[in-house]
Amino acid sequence: MTSIFTSGRRQSWRRIFDRIMKVLILLSVVIAIIPLFFVVADVVVQGLPAISLAFFTKNPPSPLAGYGGILNGIEGSLLMVGMGTLIAVPLGVGAGIYFSEWPESRLSFLSSFTNDVLAEFPTIVVGLFVYSLVVAPTRTFSAVAGAVALAIIMLPIIARTTEESLKIVPVTLREASMALGVPRWKTIFRVVISTGKSGLATGILLGIARATGETAPLVVTAGYLNFPPTGLFQQTASVPYIIYNFGTAGYPNWTTVAWGAALVLVAFMLILNLSVKFFIGRRSTGVRAEI
Amino acid sequence: MAEASLPTSLRGVQPKFETKGLKAGFGTNWVLKGIDLKIPPNRVTAVMGPSGCGKTTFVRCLNRLHELTPGATVEGEALLDGEDIYDRNADPVAVRRRIGMVFQKPNPFPTMSIYHNVVAGLTLNGERNKKKLDHAVEHSLRGAYLWDEVKDKLSNSGASLSGGQQQRLCIARALAVEPEVLLMDEPCSALDPTATAKIEELITQLKRDYTIIIVTHNLQQASRVSDYTAFFYLGKLIEFDETATLFENPKEELTERYITGKFG
Amino acid sequence: MPRLMDIGLDQLNSLLLDMATLSQQAVSASIDAYSLGSKGAEVRQMSNRLRALHRQVSDLSVEMIARYQPVASDLRFLKACMEISYGFFRYGRYALDITSVLDMFGDLSKCDKKFVVDTAKKTQEMIRMSVEAFAKRDLEMARNIPTMDDVVDESYRRNLRTTLEKKGADIKCALSSALILRYLERIADHASYIGESVEYIATGVEPKLD
Repeated sequence: MTSIFTSGRRQSWRRIFDRIMKVLILLSVVIAIIPLFFVVADVVVQGLPAISLAFFTKNPPSPLAGYGGILNGIEGSLLMVGMGTLIAVPLGVGAGIYFSEWPESRLSFLSSFTNDVLAEFPTIVVGLFVYSLVVAPTRTFSAVAGAVALAIIMLPIIARTTEESLKIVPVTLREASMALGVPRWKTIFRVVISTGKSGLATGILLGIARATGETAPLVVTAGYLNFPPTGLFQQTASVPYIIYNFGTAGYPNWTTVAWGAALVLVAFMLILNLSVKFFIGRRSTGVRAEI
Repeated sequence: MAEASLPTSLRGVQPKFETKGLKAGFGTNWVLKGIDLKIPPNRVTAVMGPSGCGKTTFVRCLNRLHELTPGATVEGEALLDGEDIYDRNADPVAVRRRIGMVFQKPNPFPTMSIYHNVVAGLTLNGERNKKKLDHAVEHSLRGAYLWDEVKDKLSNSGASLSGGQQQRLCIARALAVEPEVLLMDEPCSALDPTATAKIEELITQLKRDYTIIIVTHNLQQASRVSDYTAFFYLGKLIEFDETATLFENPKEELTERYITGKFG
Repeated sequence: MPRLMDIGLDQLNSLLLDMATLSQQAVSASIDAYSLGSKGAEVRQMSNRLRALHRQVSDLSVEMIARYQPVASDLRFLKACMEISYGFFRYGRYALDITSVLDMFGDLSKCDKKFVVDTAKKTQEMIRMSVEAFAKRDLEMARNIPTMDDVVDESYRRNLRTTLEKKGADIKCALSSALILRYLERIADHASYIGESVEYIATGVEPKLD
């Protein structure tokens, strides 16, 4: 009759092995987090001194000429991201609906595939494309060009998350609605989208987060301006461009401005991501439908 | 269906729903191989048979839900009060408004309250009159034996009810559109015995006002609840008769073998 | 592949076959006691045993209906089982009644027993037919039983009439014959009922009542 406890030696060897694995795994997590931690810490430490109320209400200073702010960048980014969203959301959500509700069509399959490719596209190439499309004919960098570039970058993300969120809605809900004699388009808009709306909102916010941080495309489409936007077809500033331009110039006051801009950008991303989590937590309608 | 093979009590009765050579499937893979069946009005007709016999497909053809699946094909006629619902000029949406459906797993709309779930069929089609909606909510919930249990929490989410209550909510939702026919696809298979008993009781009451067709794989349920039973096997209608007769003395050997459990 | 229910159905079938044999023996024993003048003491025991078996069949049938919710031929078989076992039980009971006549009336050696014995042979034939129709589910045989029943009925009535008309008949002989014929007639009726039950199992249709 063997005891329920295995022989002592084998047991303690297994325990030790278990502990070693645990330590190794924890170590790898710590190592993975370290770079992120240091980057954020660095941004905070370097950027905090630049933050003041004036930072948000003044334009950048001249080189070596004291302190200033990033008003032009904030307003420019808001303008271009805003316009980009207005373009990308209807198109992206529309595409997502088509992929989800008519998956059997060949157009759907092709476009969905193309969409996935576009999502991973180098954004500088997108910028170059918009350069030849908008900037060259209009002979000027512009907010419109910047907005179009951002829209192209946001589009695949929104389309994909819309498709995913709608696909999660159970087929049986669509059938219930259609069985009631509700036409298909109403079923899609009033029932399916309503059920998947938290997913849609998440997608849009993620798209905005991505667009806000893009630098390369704006360099070749929107250019830069030391003042808040003066016209849709004029050069426009943006926060990432300020970081790019001011951070490497070498003037100490400009460097400070750049760090401050970086901090603002990182803080904005953080807030956006937290609100996404908040959205998912509050309205977990997708989960409750699973009865 | 030849007059001679109709159950005696149905000779000369105008059927509510009549299918003629109804075939359905996916592409050329026919699941239903030509069904001729006369469904009597204001009675409960059970459709039963082993898995894969086409009973669910049949019922989903009656409200034109089958064709919504990509690749689905339908041939033949299905006459509701004499009019073919598959006529070229027929509007499937209008057809579905006359026919209600209750599904296997209760599926209330999760983003809507109990109140809005019940009248979803009305509000989604543009009804705004609050008085009409209030009346419809109470009338339908009473009709589904659910009013007393939920009348004080109509604004709660539809998904907050128990399984049996959710299914009755779905029945109320179907009734609110005032259909003439009620299709039920194994409505109790996801419910416990008590909830099942309540719904079976409800079904026998509902037949006063509606024609009911219920798909079930549960022989005892078919024998408890239905007036007429149709036995399907491999896409064909094998036998259709009064339930009491079919269960006591079936005419076809295949039917006898199935209901006594002698199938392979 | 056998079903759960089949175990119980087989059990019922053997119980009924046992009852069939036993009831045949009981009736034969009682007729022999009459014609040969013996006591027929074993008939009482057989009758009691038949009663117990009938109860067993009844209980088992009800249990099967409650547990298995049978339908179609299974359901018809169970309904018929209860009726047929009652029939066999009655065979035994009437056999007992015949021997109690012998007990009560004592010495009947002076009576003319030929008529009664002839009728008894016909009745025994009907019993045999009912048993065989059940055992083999023989529809043809089951349908022939009522014809013989008419014959036995007629014998019973003829004897009554003759007895009423005859003057100076021996009361003991007349009464004992009438009573025994009565019991034989009842046995014959039950044989018909058993035949009807066998027909019901096979066709699901109960023959029309006259």
